[in-house]
Amino acid sequence: MGISKYFPGVIANADVSLDVRPGEIHALLGENGAGKSTLMNIVTGIYQPDAGEIVLDGYTRHLASPQEAIRAGIGMVHQHFKLVQAFTVAENIHLGWRDTPARASTKALEARTRALSERFGFAVRPDARIADLSAGEQQRVEILRVLARRARLLILDEPTAVLTPTEARDLFRALRAFRAQGNAVILISHKLDEVMDISDRISILRGGRKIGTFATAHCTPAMLARTMVGRDIVRRDLRARPPGAAPVAVRPVMSLRHVTTRDERGVETLRDVTLDLHGGEILGIAGVAGNGQRELTQVLTGLLPPDAGDVLLDGVPVGAPDPAHFARSGIGHIPEDRLRSGLAPSLGIADNMALREYDRPPIGGRGGYAPHAAQALARRIADAAAVRIPDYAMPIRNLSGGNQQRLVARREIRIAERILVAAYPSRGLDIGAIATVLGYLTDLRDRGVAVVLVSEDLEELLNVADRIGVLFQGRLMATIDAATADMETIGLLMGGRTAAQTGGAI
Amino acid sequence: MARIVQRLPSVSPGRVLAWRVGAVIAALLLTTLFLALSGRDPALLAELVVRSTVGSRFGLEDLALFMTPLVLTGAAVTVTGRIGIWNIGAEGQFYAGAIGAAGIGLFVHGPALLVLPLMTVCGVLCGMAWILVPTLARAYAGVNEIITTLLLNFVAALLTSYLAVGPWHDRVTGALASTARLPVAIPDLWGVVHWGFPLALAVVAALAATLDRTRWGYEVRISGANPEAARYAGIPVRARIVAVMLLSGALAALAGVSEVAGTVHRLQGGIANNFGYFGIVVAVLARGSCLNVLPAALLMAFILDSGIVLQTQQLTASTVLAITGLVLFMIAIGDELAHYRPVSTSRLSTNKGAAP
Repeated sequence: MGISKYFPGVIANADVSLDVRPGEIHALLGENGAGKSTLMNIVTGIYQPDAGEIVLDGYTRHLASPQEAIRAGIGMVHQHFKLVQAFTVAENIHLGWRDTPARASTKALEARTRALSERFGFAVRPDARIADLSAGEQQRVEILRVLARRARLLILDEPTAVLTPTEARDLFRALRAFRAQGNAVILISHKLDEVMDISDRISILRGGRKIGTFATAHCTPAMLARTMVGRDIVRRDLRARPPGAAPVAVRPVMSLRHVTTRDERGVETLRDVTLDLHGGEILGIAGVAGNGQRELTQVLTGLLPPDAGDVLLDGVPVGAPDPAHFARSGIGHIPEDRLRSGLAPSLGIADNMALREYDRPPIGGRGGYAPHAAQALARRIADAAAVRIPDYAMPIRNLSGGNQQRLVARREIRIAERILVAAYPSRGLDIGAIATVLGYLTDLRDRGVAVVLVSEDLEELLNVADRIGVLFQGRLMATIDAATADMETIGLLMGGRTAAQTGGAI
Repeated sequence: MARIVQRLPSVSPGRVLAWRVGAVIAALLLTTLFLALSGRDPALLAELVVRSTVGSRFGLEDLALFMTPLVLTGAAVTVTGRIGIWNIGAEGQFYAGAIGAAGIGLFVHGPALLVLPLMTVCGVLCGMAWILVPTLARAYAGVNEIITTLLLNFVAALLTSYLAVGPWHDRVTGALASTARLPVAIPDLWGVVHWGFPLALAVVAALAATLDRTRWGYEVRISGANPEAARYAGIPVRARIVAVMLLSGALAALAGVSEVAGTVHRLQGGIANNFGYFGIVVAVLARGSCLNVLPAALLMAFILDSGIVLQTQQLTASTVLAITGLVLFMIAIGDELAHYRPVSTSRLSTNKGAAP
């Protein structure tokens, strides 16, 4: 009630009141930085409120730690799972739990886990190691872990981001069953359709304040989006070309022919992938994370030489691929994990913006490095990205995640004269920023650049892409025309059904 | 309203400098207090220290002689820091450089104009050879360089002692653990200060220019800050690691060459005098900047020189070490405190709406 939380220089939550009732699924919506995570961290005892209090069943409760929160019946499943990778499912379930028997054999722990799994309706394999599980399976372990500790309020942070459509449906079925027993769920999500589908009530945060709580039955996606960002979202049909846009090039600018890659253990990560990239076209790549997307983007940008097959640039096979050469050839790359591979967080903004052009004039040339030219470049990129920079020598990690992402996107778009490979460019962004980034991609397409958009958001792919390729276990299952594709078909392909089984594929 | 403290994400150099000056003053006040409590006259000791360092010509010469190796070993540690590597072996590479230079100086006879460059080249090659195995192990097998470079220090120290008491021992004067005086020497520039001093300064200036103003320096910076981003940009990270570590070995060895050929004029056991380890302190004080190595080395030289003066006044070596430690400790605290500033919560309310 009236929760406030201040961080140095910012107010993360200001006087937020939220009531969650037994037997409801309560969705929490808000842009990035609206204060959703902070609020949930307060509810689960990770942060202490600077003002306000938490009232549970009529009594004020002081939650000093996540352990106290779970004892009070509040459990959270974070977006990034907090499981011990090397432990089995049973061990993870029993880790740090007061009810864990002091002396228990592996067999006993597994039996207890099996019983819990049946009781709560979350199927898990008690003896499997976490590292061997898919994201969906790991999530089930996390939820079971929380439910086993008798949580009555379950908080889920973007639970479907890592799931296939089928897995998401299973999760929702389980959440409804949990609700039916008189428990409550707080669901944080960016996906409006999902929220409309499952929630009973919706609370919207903006700028650290609560805008309102609405009964889902009275909401529409458009109204929610408007309330979230505080302005109208222009939903243009992103596939339509404006007059004067470059047509789809006949000759492919880059082609993969029977490309196969293997990881260090010799497991095939891409299997016999053949595809063409055409200028003026957006090729969407769909698939559940971990099915070869990372390797595909690495092959396309010269980071990973294929173990078999050819990469052709303008019809000419590339000998030994070299990322610097690919960049000089006009191939931009917005990497999946921008902070880990696209930026040097401790270095200045100017140094980071020079990463793709440091070897050519005006910054490079004859072995030199001109800091002033690097700063001028950084200023141009920041202006294009509409990011305000107080000091270009400041470490780039001081910027917000969204701003870092915008800068990387603009830096790569600058060099992407022919191809841009964008891996999950909208991940972690709010609706407004997603629209901006997708606008960048369509502008490039209209200029005749071949764009590869890797995404796990099917709606985004269907809105933007001209063709959609689906990856499953490293295999390109099919490449289908986005105009005639539907979610169900793509969902089945993502789950490993072949084109023949689904029909309608090209 | 209650005041809370804010941690600044980055600090301006001026702010750090101000805190450091404060830290040194605080350390000196504490030292004064303890010396006075133990019956010493702090004013007398302070006057003596000032007179034997910055207050007299001989003092200044001593400072320059101390500073020369510290500048080079400090630069050696700083340059590896740029690529995210700790060369703890500057001491060993110093010895290797000293051995290489002394070997040429003792056994190759000719005009100084020919022998001195030869000594330098040989010493530098020896230093690079000394760091070669840790370098390759780090670049190609991921072996932690802190341990390998550190352990080789003891090998180098023992090898130097062996040569100085054994095969290269001066049999004429019979001095303990020393070779004969070398027939050639780096010419003196000013009193006992030899040309190694300005050369060391020039080397550091050139190094700063290389790291800040060349493409290679940029690639080293990126490789150090995030190797994955470097690979993403097509920078050969391994090649840069190898080059930087060899360069570091060469710089530390150059300190050894200068010490043998300019200051001591012979190879002695223990000639490195911990200059390699003090180089780490210098590099930490310099906070990754090559040009900052110069004032940091000056401060370190002043501390070492004062320590010797104090020991002549019957202060024990342990006391001197404790004072040295206190100064560095206070500087470390000052560096950390420079990151904080008090903020009143009323300031916060003017920023409302800005979420993290």
